[in-house]
Amino acid sequence: MLYYVVRRVGVAVGLVWFVATFVFLAIHLVPGDPAELLLSQGGVAPDPAAVTDLRERLGLDQPLLHQYAAYLTALVRGDLGTSLLDDHPVASEIALRLPRTLELIGTAALLALAVGLPAGTFAALRAGTASDRALSALAGIALSIPVFVLGTVAILVFAQKLRWVPAGGYVQFGRDPLQHLLVLAMPASTIAVGLAAIVFRMTRSSLLEVLGRDHVRAARARGIAPARIIMHHVVRNALTPVVTVLSLHLGSLLGGTVLVEYVFNWPGLSGYLVRAVELRDYPEVTGIVLVISILFVLLNLLVDLLYAVLDPRVRHA
Amino acid sequence: MSRRATWHLLVPGIIVGAITAVALVVPLLPLPDPIRMDIPARLLPPSVGHLLGQDEYGRDVLSRILWGARTSLVVAFVAAAAAAIVGTCLGLFGGYFRGLVELLTVRTAEAILCFPPLLLALLVVTLLGPGAGTLITVLAFLYAPGFARISFAETLMVRALDYVTAQEALGARPERIVIRTILPNVAPALLVQFSLTVASAIVLESGLSFLGLGVVPPAPSWGLMIRGARSTMEQAPWLLLWPCLALTGTVIALNMLCDRLRDVLDPRAQGRQSSWLARGAARILPSVAGSTQKPSLLRVEGLTIEITTPSGARFRPVRDIALTVAPGETLAMVGESGSGKTLTALALLGLLPPAARIIGGTALFTGRDGRVRDLNLLAEPELRQLRGDEIAMVFQDPGNSLNPVHRIYHQLAETIRAHRPANRSAVAVQAIGLLREVGLPDAERRAYAFPHELSGGQLQRVMIAMAIANGPRLLIADEPTTALDVTIQAQILDLLAALKVRSQGMGLIFVTHNLAVVAEIAQRVCVMYAGQIVEEGPVSEVFARPRHPYTAALIASVPEGGSGRLVAIPGTVPLPGALARGCCFAPRCPRSGPECTADLPVLERISSGRATRCIKWRELA
Repeated sequence: MLYYVVRRVGVAVGLVWFVATFVFLAIHLVPGDPAELLLSQGGVAPDPAAVTDLRERLGLDQPLLHQYAAYLTALVRGDLGTSLLDDHPVASEIALRLPRTLELIGTAALLALAVGLPAGTFAALRAGTASDRALSALAGIALSIPVFVLGTVAILVFAQKLRWVPAGGYVQFGRDPLQHLLVLAMPASTIAVGLAAIVFRMTRSSLLEVLGRDHVRAARARGIAPARIIMHHVVRNALTPVVTVLSLHLGSLLGGTVLVEYVFNWPGLSGYLVRAVELRDYPEVTGIVLVISILFVLLNLLVDLLYAVLDPRVRHA
Repeated sequence: MSRRATWHLLVPGIIVGAITAVALVVPLLPLPDPIRMDIPARLLPPSVGHLLGQDEYGRDVLSRILWGARTSLVVAFVAAAAAAIVGTCLGLFGGYFRGLVELLTVRTAEAILCFPPLLLALLVVTLLGPGAGTLITVLAFLYAPGFARISFAETLMVRALDYVTAQEALGARPERIVIRTILPNVAPALLVQFSLTVASAIVLESGLSFLGLGVVPPAPSWGLMIRGARSTMEQAPWLLLWPCLALTGTVIALNMLCDRLRDVLDPRAQGRQSSWLARGAARILPSVAGSTQKPSLLRVEGLTIEITTPSGARFRPVRDIALTVAPGETLAMVGESGSGKTLTALALLGLLPPAARIIGGTALFTGRDGRVRDLNLLAEPELRQLRGDEIAMVFQDPGNSLNPVHRIYHQLAETIRAHRPANRSAVAVQAIGLLREVGLPDAERRAYAFPHELSGGQLQRVMIAMAIANGPRLLIADEPTTALDVTIQAQILDLLAALKVRSQGMGLIFVTHNLAVVAEIAQRVCVMYAGQIVEEGPVSEVFARPRHPYTAALIASVPEGGSGRLVAIPGTVPLPGALARGCCFAPRCPRSGPECTADLPVLERISSGRATRCIKWRELA
């Protein structure tokens, strides 16, 4: 088990280094000078003096290897540079906004599990019946609605017509817990719809697969009660693929909340990223991409460790 | 491809085709200019001239929706096609040449999958600036790895096939092999991936446009239209409705097409139903009157099982089985694979697979309380109480019959608790005692092992411990030694024999295809062939004087020290769906004559306790 953990952590560290290098290269090896690109507006060539000035500020005038070393050492210290526009440290802005995005994703994941797992189990145990077909069709539709469509329509219906919830924004939990949850409800539910459909599909197919296995028949032959068989010998075994798929999607949500945060005016990491992209603020963009990618790697590490808990065979692999 | 599957493909196919057609012919349609503004007419509701109304700049919404379809589909199709071509090539080369090429193509492409897709898209947009060209580049870049993976995996598989190796040996050039043999094999999977990619690309494109980072205004795009309608949704909610419907409808149609395509290409994925879960699935059968004889422990008569294939065909793999087991007796059921032994055993416990069901016969079982029950008529809850308690079963493959995620102690304890409530410590004492009884070395420690930590022989001992945990009256062992090493086989047989002696009156049904095992363990034997019992009697008598040509042939085919040459039985067991008239064994029988194929022979009593289904049994004497 310890060997397994050490190896997984080693792989994760390697991946983080890879991601950092990739982001570095993406900026420095793309044709065109970043400083020139940054300052050009609508095809008008920028002032050469300003370009030289910016190159110096970004350290672009130094040899590539030198820049790379400086970049990595700063990274190890947790320094992601400062914004080009207002010199605000990127790391502190991320530290402020990241928890909000994580809260959004976490709530959505919990909602998705709360709906998707029971619905998937229900459908699998009634495979082929009308209720199973209806649920599967519903999941297909839920998967097809783009989040920004769902979010925009939700605002129109629940905030503007019915006036049940605010249209968006953010309230600190410490200031008004109830209002905080009320504001959280709509964006989290919007993300949860598609996620629940994914959990539903995966749970259903995984359960059907496990139901046909020999050990389930053997448990029946021992006279174990059906409810216990389903909980201990079917759902328990079917969880591993569900966890994999959910975590993969949570990972892509780290960047994928962009649209939902934009629609609901949620001051999370993604909104920051969109603004940085619009303003072409390099240090901000690379810092955010890097942090999200590292979180993505960490999430995968967590899933690998969770596997070992769920399936004892993995620990020996 | 079945007709139903084709029909299922038709509906989403037509919708996707219609959307594509509209996108293609939109420049030819008599529509108002989608970018011509008419500020005084802004936010006007639907009218004759403007069927879907006018937007915040007074532009015609219908025209913008249809032109938007063109934008979305062109971007998505071009990007998906580029991704498919680049990705497939990378995968093919990586899979065909392996080594360094694989690292440079497939592995590099997979690295892209390490990033959240939308994030990567934003990174590229920062570098290249927004616009349709950037969008296509980004989407192609994002989706190429998916294609690379599929074609890589498929190429590896096809490469290993014999005929590809043969072609290489004959000197075919690599590019010819790739194009002629590998591509056709990958095509179906790539087709599914392509339609999935188009749907996903449409969503991503409209998402980026919605953020203002995709298609550049004033060009019409669904994402941009939703973005525009958001600011005026209080006054003109219908403006929001149209692009949302168009976008969602297109994506639903594409995803549906994709699901159906997958079903057609991989029919296995379709749902199966487990009948035992259906509530109140009582197995109600016409009860057979007349058997007034007092059953000893188990008396089966006329047991017939029918299987319905997915295509709706029906056949009977087990027909008219009759057998009896007395307390303390061991009955062996022998026969080749496919003779119906295992199905018969499963039927007694009500464990038949969903496609199979009992359509006739009785199985009278005398319980501990002296009551006689017909196992075929019992409802699932009553049968469940018998299972693992009065009737237990040991399966062929112990490795698959234990749940891999639970420690064996818990699985054993749960078996004990399923039938009698007991406190924790009593169960623990009993469980360890059982594991010791079945000869599991170091039982106290191994009890807490996971199944994968034990050997096959040890697992089968655990399975036996579970089977005898509640002191069953009848134990059914379905080829319990087949999956084990020869040396372990003997140990397990000894264990079963010893347990039976200790049990005082436990009946044992031992299913096997191994005649040597039968002679060692059983008192009585019934020989099965193609779903029927062909001969039955005491082991010593049947082996010494077989009264059915099949039994005789089986005995002759057993390798024994010192005997003459081995005789194989010519031909194979007939398929259950294709049984000939008359005696099932006649096509392979050296003694068959025209009288054998006239009628189905009955199981004839030839002396006390012996029966045969051969009309010529006297000739064998």
